Parts: sequence; C-alpha cells; structure tokens
Amino acid sequence: MSEIEIEIDGNLVKAKQGDSIIKIADREGIEVPRFCYHKKLSVAANCRMCLVDVEGAPKAQPACSTPVANGMKVHTKNDKAKFAQKAVMEFLLINHPLDCPICDQGGECELQDVAMEYGSDVSKFNEGKRIVPDKGIGALIQTDMTRCIHCTRCVRFGAEVAGIVEMGGTGRGEGVKIEPFLTEGIQSELSGNMIDVCPVGALTSKPFRYEARTWQMNAVPSVARHDLVGSNIITQSYRGKVKRVVARDNDSINETWISDRDRFSYEGLSHESRALKPKVKIDGEWQEVEWQEALDFTIDGIKNNAKNPEQLGVLASKYSSLEEYFLMQKLARSFGSDNIDFRIDQSDLSDGGSLESSITLSEIESIDHALIVGSYTRLEQPMINHRIRKAVLNGASVNTINSKQFDFNFNTELDLLSAPQKILSTLHAILKSLHLKIGTDVPKYLSKVIPDDVHNKIADDLIASKNGVIVLGEHLNSNPSSSAITNLIFQIAQITDLKIANLMLSGNSHAAERVGFMPTKNGMNAISMFNENTRVFMLMDVDCDYDFINLQSAADCFNNEDVFVVSMSSFENESLHTNANVILPMASYYEASGTHINFDGLVQSFSASVKSPGDSKPGWKIIKVLADLLELEGFDYINSTQVKDEALQSSKLKSSFDDVNAEIDDSQITTHWQYAPYATDSVSRRAKALQESNIGMINSAFVSKSTAKRLDINGDDLYLGVPVSITDAVAEDYVFVHTNQARRVEGG
Amino acid sequence: MISNEAKKEIDIWVSKYPKGRESSAVMQALTIVQKENSGILNSDLIYAVADYLKMPAISVQEVATFYENYNHKPVGKHVVRFCHNISCMLNGSDDLISYLENKLEVKTGEVTKDGLVSVRKVECLGACVGGPMCQIGDQYYENLTTDKLDKILEELK
Repeated sequence: MSEIEIEIDGNLVKAKQGDSIIKIADREGIEVPRFCYHKKLSVAANCRMCLVDVEGAPKAQPACSTPVANGMKVHTKNDKAKFAQKAVMEFLLINHPLDCPICDQGGECELQDVAMEYGSDVSKFNEGKRIVPDKGIGALIQTDMTRCIHCTRCVRFGAEVAGIVEMGGTGRGEGVKIEPFLTEGIQSELSGNMIDVCPVGALTSKPFRYEARTWQMNAVPSVARHDLVGSNIITQSYRGKVKRVVARDNDSINETWISDRDRFSYEGLSHESRALKPKVKIDGEWQEVEWQEALDFTIDGIKNNAKNPEQLGVLASKYSSLEEYFLMQKLARSFGSDNIDFRIDQSDLSDGGSLESSITLSEIESIDHALIVGSYTRLEQPMINHRIRKAVLNGASVNTINSKQFDFNFNTELDLLSAPQKILSTLHAILKSLHLKIGTDVPKYLSKVIPDDVHNKIADDLIASKNGVIVLGEHLNSNPSSSAITNLIFQIAQITDLKIANLMLSGNSHAAERVGFMPTKNGMNAISMFNENTRVFMLMDVDCDYDFINLQSAADCFNNEDVFVVSMSSFENESLHTNANVILPMASYYEASGTHINFDGLVQSFSASVKSPGDSKPGWKIIKVLADLLELEGFDYINSTQVKDEALQSSKLKSSFDDVNAEIDDSQITTHWQYAPYATDSVSRRAKALQESNIGMINSAFVSKSTAKRLDINGDDLYLGVPVSITDAVAEDYVFVHTNQARRVEGG
Repeated sequence: MISNEAKKEIDIWVSKYPKGRESSAVMQALTIVQKENSGILNSDLIYAVADYLKMPAISVQEVATFYENYNHKPVGKHVVRFCHNISCMLNGSDDLISYLENKLEVKTGEVTKDGLVSVRKVECLGACVGGPMCQIGDQYYENLTTDKLDKILEELK
C-alpha cells in the first residue's frame, strides 16, 4: 500500500493508506481516549470515545474506524474534539456506578483514567441508574455487569480470538446486557483474557477479588512454564504472595494473550500442602528438622545405600528450570551415574531424544495445511492452537488423526479416529499412499499395507500443501510405539517436504533436553531405572500420585526397604510420605530465578517474583549444596546466572532413530489416560479456581457403544474410577480417559 | 425440538441465502418455531435453532432479544403490540396504553386472567401516518381512540 502523509495535532507523519487514525496516533504516542478499540480485535466503533476532529468533516470522527487519507489534518485535542469526547464521556458515565472504592479495577481502570481527563465532576443526570443482575460465568471471571459500558471487547474476543462465541449483547437500547447464554460458565481455555481486555470493572479476576489494590502490588516480569510457549507474564505480589498473573505483550510469543492455566495457576502456590520444612523419615516416622540435619541425613542416605555410583537414579518432572535440570544432571554425572531422566510420563523411550520441530511459533500462523496427530491442541497448547486457528481463518485446512473427536475452535476437514494401537498402521497406510502418489519406491515393510480413501485424502492434502506442518501431540507420549510413530512422521514430513511441530514435549522439556537430562548410552532411563540396581532415587518436583506412566512399578521400587528416596518438592502428599525418605522443600514457580526454553528454542530467563515460603529454598541452591556435601567438583556457583551460562554452553543431544517396527496386538482394548489440562503439573493441580472451572472439571472415560458392550460397562458406571461417557466420537476398542484424577491402572 | 414441518419451512428461507450463510435465516426460523410453540420462545428452542442453523446459541439469543417480534414470557391468545415511538406518542399512545391497562387489568407485558389478551409496547411498526396504532395478529389498527379500542377488544372475544 502506498505511503501518504497526514497531519496529527500539527505534526506531519507518514502513514499507510487504509490505516486508521488511532493506529497512527498510537504509533506517534499521541493519546486518544478509547474503550472499544483494541489493537488485536476488530473495529466496532461503538463507544465513540475516540472522536477526533478531522478538518473538512462536519462532525467529529471516530479515530478507530476512520481511515487516513493523504493530506488529512486531524486534531485530537482542539475544542471540537474535546467537546465531542467530553459529551461521550458524560453519556458513558450516566449508568456507570460510582463504586470505584470497592471495585477491583480501581487504579488500573481505563474508564477511571479517561474520566479523570475528560469527565465532569458533577453529573447532570438525576434519573435512576440502570442495574444489571449478574449471571455467574464460572470460577475464573467475576462479573459486575452494572459497570459494563458495552464496549463489546469481550464479545469480540470470544468470536475472534477464543473462537468460542460465549458472550453476547442481548436486548436493545437501554436494556442491552452483555452476558453469556444461560449460565453454564465460560468454556474457553483463554477466557481470562476477557479480564484484561475489559476496560472497566465488569469482568475481573474471581480468585483475585478483594485480595489487593493494584497500586499495592509488586509487579515482576516473568515467564509462564506450563506449556511450550513460555508466555510472557507479569506476576503481581502483595506481602510476599503472588496475587495475580497478567499477560505481558510479546508479539512473537504470546501476542497479548495468555492461557487460563498460565493466568490462574498461581493459586496453587499457597496451597495448604506446601512443603515448608525439611523432613526426614526415621523408623517410619516423619520428623521436621533443620536444613543442616536434613542435608546430612540425605548425604548419609545416598552414601550408605548406593554401594556404587551407578545405583543412583535421578528423575524430574517437565516443569523444572534449565538451571535445576543442568545442576541435577551434573550432580548425577559427577557422582558417577548416568541414570537421569525427565520423560517420566512416556512409555516408549527407545529414541535418543525428541523429534526436533522445524517451524517457529509465528510461522505457524502462515501455514496452509496442518495434520494434527494425537493432540487436543486447544487445551494442551492453547497459544500454539491459537496460531493454528489464525492460519485456518486465513484459509488453511486441518486434518486430524486422533483417538477421539475433539472440540477444536476451528473447522477441521477430516477427523480420522484411530485408537493408539492403530495409529502406527494408519501412518503406514498414509506413508504408502504418499510413496505411490509421488512415485517413489515403496519400502518392503509397507508391501502388505493397503491405504483406503481416507488415507489417500490425507496423503493428497499433504502433497498439495506447500507450507504445511505435521503436529505431533502429547497423546503420543503414552503410546507404546511412540518412537516408531515419530520416526514415521519424520519420514512423511521428509517426502512431502513439510515442517514438523512437536508438541509431545511440554513445560520446560526443551531445557531438559538441552542440558542432556537423559541417559546417554550406558545409563538407565525413566522406565528401566525401576529395578533392583537403583538403590537411591533423587526426585525433583515429581508427584508420585500423578506423574509416572507406570505408577505401580515406581511405587514398588520406592517402597523397597533398602531404597533411599530423596524428594525435592514444593508440595507434600500421602504418596510422597509413603515413598520418600527425606523431603527437601523447594521453591516453586515465581519463587526462584530460572530459565525457560520455548518451542522456538528461545531462552528466556526470569528472576524470582516472591520469596519462597517457609524454609523452602530454590532448587538450584539445594542441588549445589548437596553436590558440595558429596564433595563433588565444580559446583562453585554464586548465582543462577552462572549456572545458566554454563548450561547453555553444553551441546544439545541430537535425535536418533532406531528403525523400530514393533508388532502390536491391535485387537486388545487399550486405555489412554490423558490428564486434563489443569492436572498436568503440581501447581495447577492445586489451583482452586482453575480446578473449579469447566476445563478443570473434565473427568470422563469416553468409550464407544460396542466397546462398552465388550467391557460390559454402561453410562452409569465408573471405569477405573472415572464416570463413563458413551459416545460415537471415540475410536473403537479403546477407552479415552480424560480426567483430572490421578492415573489408575487396569485391575489396580 | 423443531418439527419436520417447521424444518421444511426454515429450509425454504435458508435456500434464499448463499451456502454457508444459513444463519441469515435466523429471524424467520425464530418466527416459525415461536408460532409452533404457541407464540413463545424458550431456551431449548433457542438452542434448537442455533443447532439447526449452525450458529452459537448466544447469537440467536441476541437476535431473539433485540427484536420485539419474539416473546420470552407467556402471551395471551391475542397480543396487542402497541407502538410507543415518537409519532404515536405525540398522538397520545401513552394515554391509550394506560387506558388498555386499566380496562384489561393488566400491565404491559402481562396476560389477562382469562389468557385471552396480552399487551406489549413495541418500537415503530412503520405506520406513523396512522398513529397512534397497534398490531394484533397480522392486522394493523390505526388512528386509534378509546372507542375504537373498546370495539376491537369486543371483537377479540
């Protein structure tokens, strides 16, 4: 578009034809008041607050919806503009209650700010003010709709960004109300952003209600750790406790949005089950002790139980920081053990590392096709799903191969239902179809495979795509042949020349891989470690109730009398008390400095927002002291930055593929235990409001009619403790358990 | 929820719009299902229409609450839709509405005890030239006076 010149408040500025006045004004730092305009949403022009004087136009024009033209002269602060703005302000304040002193938005309210500038100190309005009864909209968002000024940002957010139209403007004229239909509560995984876009106190954070005033809080920029994106956030704390998390703009990562998980998980930090004091188990009794005693006990335990260094095993969750991963593996390796792993929720570890993604977050926006395999991206990686959705709105097509039909917030063209045990053969068929269509040699092992129409259609779409991506999701983690599946997907991507987005990893797994938090050739991995050769376990942020793919074999091993278990943990629970011998209380999210490596490989460091509660200490410090006490060399760190610098110098482990072709018995009924998105990490699991939201309460075992018959269960039954839901939208011979409950084993 | 006859009727309207724009027929669809459900909409019907036209339920609700054509509370056998906008108001619609309310012993929005008549204030019906006016069923009654109203009410019985 051609470049033109306009004049705003006497300044000549360059602009693009078609840009709105407000966009240019924002760029130039000229303040124009607004409520309904939001840079990431469509233009509604319904609040009229941004009226400015355009020379030649008889009336003031809304700056948000007036495109600039060459030679246009705009005045944002002359009498005509001011008069119009003040008049609009008067109208907006007619029905707005004067409850700023008890409003959570007070102090950060756009209406308050603009009213200070443009409002009159006396109202001419003597009639009764409008009152709007509140409908509850769930556990996350508090509504005070009497305060609403009908800017419709939340309505447009739902329709345009979240992709689920939930809020709407009902009624007309004086009777207009912004509300959802009925009161089932908001379903979106991005709903918390409505709080951010609301310019007044109509939508505020429910868990934050009456907790603190905005000016009392200490704001620290940080990075969210629940998914691969590493969304940029600001933590706001009051009296040493995180009271709220809000989004921080970063266009290449999270734009302006964050997921509800990132926003509301902080509540888990003040859960009653926090580990606050070091504890040791002596003769089966837990005793609170001082750090020195706990550390001595730990060192003795390690030395006495590990007859040789290789009897030490080290396990961590996917949510630790780069520094913690690095030091922990350094400790183990200096000690002489290579038994290190973070992939505790994977059932197939035969490949050397995860498949590398070959696309960046912002590139996902411009793909023309996506094949999603084993992922409910909307709930599992909300911000990545948001980018896929943007691509779909621009015309990209999406096919999925999932074990259940999921409720995506974009249209999918073809949903192939495939139980986990059949995904491998499905991919074989697609690969064969691709070979036949492209005219390359069909490998021998595919000779018996016969692709059907659906496989051919998926193959056609992959071939037709110029700029597509194959997305691998976290449902593949529990697949016993996940290595073979990733290998096949790698081949498919190669012959079709498409990109790969690997979403099997989660949290901070990229950091764990980067520092080699995995066994090299000699060591034992997260599956093979559980045998009589491992006598000492060091666990970092591991919840024995949830995290292991095979909870039973882990528990059996931990409970062995001559096995010593050291748990660095932020929380305590029954299973930890049963399994561990010593609990070293560790700082959790936002309580220690650290580093996150995201999907793009971007290294983002953050400092501590608050002090960790009780006697708990940052993980990296605990590991450093343990290493010192074990008399290991090279742990002379003064701060976490030194750890980070050293960690980033180490080279990343490369993926290696064995040509595995596991024979699978696919007539068996398999069960896939998939944690609901707010049950993935120890902090989210304890965040009250998140757990009470619609997504937090996900708890169903989905099974098809015929499989239900084979299993002899019906809709009123429980399957492994989870309510059964009989549906057509799930693959045969298969139970998809989508739940916030701890994993249970069949027959267990 | 929606009968097959109603669906057929809705389909006729849907076919008048381009493919993928089924939602354009929402007003007619609401009118049709309302008529079938003795002149009143409820949330189940809103959901059914939303489902049938593949649109979000809240969007259907927006339309159903914006226009005066749709009833969300029980109505009488006959609904007197009285215009109270500028032309009718200047010609005395407010007095006539009060007269009706007194005579029928109801408030606007309510139904008479015998369930025969309900009165509703509506926005401009486009018959300003004959104000004050009201609509009952498919019929417009213009240049109303108290005498005329008495006569009309007599006919409704």
